[in-house]
Amino acid sequence: MKTKIFLFFIIGLFVYLIDIGLNSNENPKEIYISDQEVLSLITAWQSQVGRKPTDDETSRIINNLIDEEILYREALLLGLDQEDRIIKRRLAQKISFLKQETLTNKPSNEDLISYYATNKDNYFVKPSYSFTHFFFSAENESKNRSQDAYNKLANNSKEFDSDPFFLGKNFINKDRDEISRNFGNIFSLNFSDDITLNEWLGPYKSSFGHHIIKVNQSSPGFYPLITEVLNKVEVDLLNENKDKAVNKYIEEVKSEYTIFVNQNL
Amino acid sequence: MKNNLLLKRLLVIIPSLWLLVLTLVYFDVYEQRPIIGLLKSLQSDSALKVVDYSVDKPANTKVMPTANPDRNPYYGDLHVHTKYSFDAYVFGITASPDDAYEYAKGKGITHPLGYEMKLQEPLDFYSVTDHGFYMGMIQAYADTSTDISKEDFAKPFNNLNSPDNLTVESAGQRSNIFSSVLAQAIIQPLPWWHPRTLKAWFTQNTQLALASFDYKIHKSAWADVARSANEHNDPGHFTTFIGYEFTTSTDTEGGNLHRNVIFDSSKASLRPWTRIDSINPEDLWTWQDSLREKGIDTISMPHNSNGSNGQMFEMETFKGDAINKAYAEKRMRNEPLVEITQVKGTSETHPLLSPDDDWADFEIMDKRVGSRPPTYSKPSGGYVREAYQNGLTLGWTNQGNPYKFGLIGSSDTHTGAGAYDESNYWSKIGLLDGDPINRGSVPANAKQQQQLKDYMEAFNQPNALIELEEGNYANTGFTQWGASGLAVAWAEENTRESIFKAFKRKETFATTGTRIAVRFFAGYDLQTIDLDSDNLVSQAYSKAVTMGSDLMHDENKSPDFLVWAQRDKNGAALQRVQIVKGWIDMGSGTPYEKVFDVACSDGMNVDPETNRCPDNGARVNINDCSISQDVGAAELKSYWNDPEFDPKVKSFYYVRVLENPSCRWSTWDAVKAGFKPREDIHDTIQERAWSSPIWYIPAVNEYSVIPLGGTVAID
Repeated sequence: MKTKIFLFFIIGLFVYLIDIGLNSNENPKEIYISDQEVLSLITAWQSQVGRKPTDDETSRIINNLIDEEILYREALLLGLDQEDRIIKRRLAQKISFLKQETLTNKPSNEDLISYYATNKDNYFVKPSYSFTHFFFSAENESKNRSQDAYNKLANNSKEFDSDPFFLGKNFINKDRDEISRNFGNIFSLNFSDDITLNEWLGPYKSSFGHHIIKVNQSSPGFYPLITEVLNKVEVDLLNENKDKAVNKYIEEVKSEYTIFVNQNL
Repeated sequence: MKNNLLLKRLLVIIPSLWLLVLTLVYFDVYEQRPIIGLLKSLQSDSALKVVDYSVDKPANTKVMPTANPDRNPYYGDLHVHTKYSFDAYVFGITASPDDAYEYAKGKGITHPLGYEMKLQEPLDFYSVTDHGFYMGMIQAYADTSTDISKEDFAKPFNNLNSPDNLTVESAGQRSNIFSSVLAQAIIQPLPWWHPRTLKAWFTQNTQLALASFDYKIHKSAWADVARSANEHNDPGHFTTFIGYEFTTSTDTEGGNLHRNVIFDSSKASLRPWTRIDSINPEDLWTWQDSLREKGIDTISMPHNSNGSNGQMFEMETFKGDAINKAYAEKRMRNEPLVEITQVKGTSETHPLLSPDDDWADFEIMDKRVGSRPPTYSKPSGGYVREAYQNGLTLGWTNQGNPYKFGLIGSSDTHTGAGAYDESNYWSKIGLLDGDPINRGSVPANAKQQQQLKDYMEAFNQPNALIELEEGNYANTGFTQWGASGLAVAWAEENTRESIFKAFKRKETFATTGTRIAVRFFAGYDLQTIDLDSDNLVSQAYSKAVTMGSDLMHDENKSPDFLVWAQRDKNGAALQRVQIVKGWIDMGSGTPYEKVFDVACSDGMNVDPETNRCPDNGARVNINDCSISQDVGAAELKSYWNDPEFDPKVKSFYYVRVLENPSCRWSTWDAVKAGFKPREDIHDTIQERAWSSPIWYIPAVNEYSVIPLGGTVAID
């Protein structure tokens, strides 16, 4: 009896040693990117976008793939595929109930002010315009009628017929993007910072016909005080810090990895 | 001696106990059920607990746009899935609700296959509506750092969406996980004595009794969805709604009965009401009524009636009882809108139901949703126009009209990003249909054909390859899907209150993804308002009713209808505006329908004999998808009278606006890849919009109709 068990024990040990031996040359720090993986990503990209990706885009695709693979392997090395308190805490932080405070490291006021200073343009409030208009529908000789109407207006006469515009007659405090959405891009280009006020201007073409506009009011664009956009600045700064931390981490770790890619694809 | 005493005692005690039980039961059955009542009072209803998910935000410094009393059209999507949906996660989606809302506001987000999804123009409102059923669960199974991922039922999902698994090759396995593994995993209940089973009874939360359900994960996923909606809600500029999808179906036939539920404010229930609570939609409406009593208003919007095998708009209740007025009122109170178009086809009408409508064969999807293999869904009972007619008949037999809903469109995207543009279409579910070969619009190469064959053999599915002229194509049903649709609401301003009110009064219309806009009014002596007047719309609002409303009779006067449609400035020009009329014979309840052209492009007139516009000559070049630029209208505006108007007849009228034809997504895919379009599917479509109807209410008859058979409760 005892010898038989001993025999099986020896066989088991033998199998175990063979397994170790065969798998020992797998270096977890080497990443092999197969041609198929790259080609399949490129094909998927191409069939969706309609053209082959440029060299820049191709290297970006491959770099994304490499970054993800590195992070994944680092996570495995840390044993994150097993139960981990840090992961649990991070997951819990991601989902916040009601008004619970989860931002454990609030950035300092100096950080916020300097971030705002560097990224002022993101918070710029665009210039807006209030205007009224006469509309001449493309269905009915819009070019001629609008030119005719403009001439009449120049002579202080309102003896012409205009058409009602689908989205209304008066527009209040609209910025260029909103005007573009309502009238089309070409029409919105007429709204510049120094547009003449309280005068009939035009005729301007839009996607629906021609218009003669009169701008009653224009508010210039401005940079708000940091206090007015404080929460958004905080959120943006935290996101930027998060991104920076991840990138820094990848850079640190990347140096340990050797990467094999077929250059000739 | 002792035995005798015991026996005597028993002889007295047992019958008196029995008498006591009988007395109690007697009272229970015939009086106020005090015993059951006692037990019921121990139960709480977790689905009726209300939570305020609002997020602390600083005061908005942006200027609030002024409210427009004539109302503006706001475009949005009320049907979006993210990684929290059980199926989206299986399909490789890792987009969060935040990503989805950023997409709607105009930012680009990444498709699982690596390319960017970005809107040409931001939307005005958006609602992330993940499946309530098992929300957040699959993601937890896949995340190998959670406890629940270690269980046996979660093993097939482990690391499902790790980066190296996000490949097109995993599509077959994912399909299988979706259909088979998921169903088996979820059904396992816990034993009856388990503490969770008892808790499930006490809190009326059946899901707790399922072994594979984790309530904490579910609640936190729902809280994240709600938090995200409140985070991105920007009154005056961008509106979001907390929402989810109630994903129910008929038990044996698998007919689709899905409905999306959205909340009107930043508050919502603690958990969503799902099919595990009850598969009967009527119980969903009861839950909505109870929430409304607590101050939380919701609306539910059914979709994919085309895939319901005729069950969505049937002529009886879910359980098979007759429809009555109480049912009709309950349904209309909670479901004022229907999603008529989305990625899984359009449900306006079917060529078999409307043989005289030349435009009825549009994006027909005739398979039961989620069926495997895709199984035929019978048309009758699954389309909106027929439902409207049946609603009139039910009203005529005094059963009430449960089918008086307004219309919206949405996408049902599972990638967080709706694909509304035919020329830039990524379909719905991520890895399985994110590339043209899998969608079946471009022929498959030899390797992919072999993959499809292997998949079919491995999972017992019928052949998914079809041999056509250009090559062998994948034929798994994605060809019936399309780049639709949008919900549009006429509201004074872009806020939750204003848009939700528009939903409730049904002043909405649906488009197939383009930004067509349409106004629709009906009233008497409207033609006195000058069509060219600047106050056309405000006068129309004061003298007439608009889409979604009832128009009461006015003696025998024929109502004037006013239609005004504007094109999408980035889309094809308008070809024509139509009014679809449906009515019933007032002696028999037989339904009828007719499509009238009302305004034509290029100055042409409607032929009074055929009620059709002449062909405006708009064509599409199939080789490069260019469309005619010199024909079509930027806007169409007209008055109309019904030439066959009968003041005594119950009827409804809704507007259908048609664009000039343009390429369908499948043709765009083929053109981009250098192939001819696939020969067995439509190569062009006419994008369109449908308004909510206006119902004409004739005078009440002097005599009332009593339906034959006496089976209907007249109350």
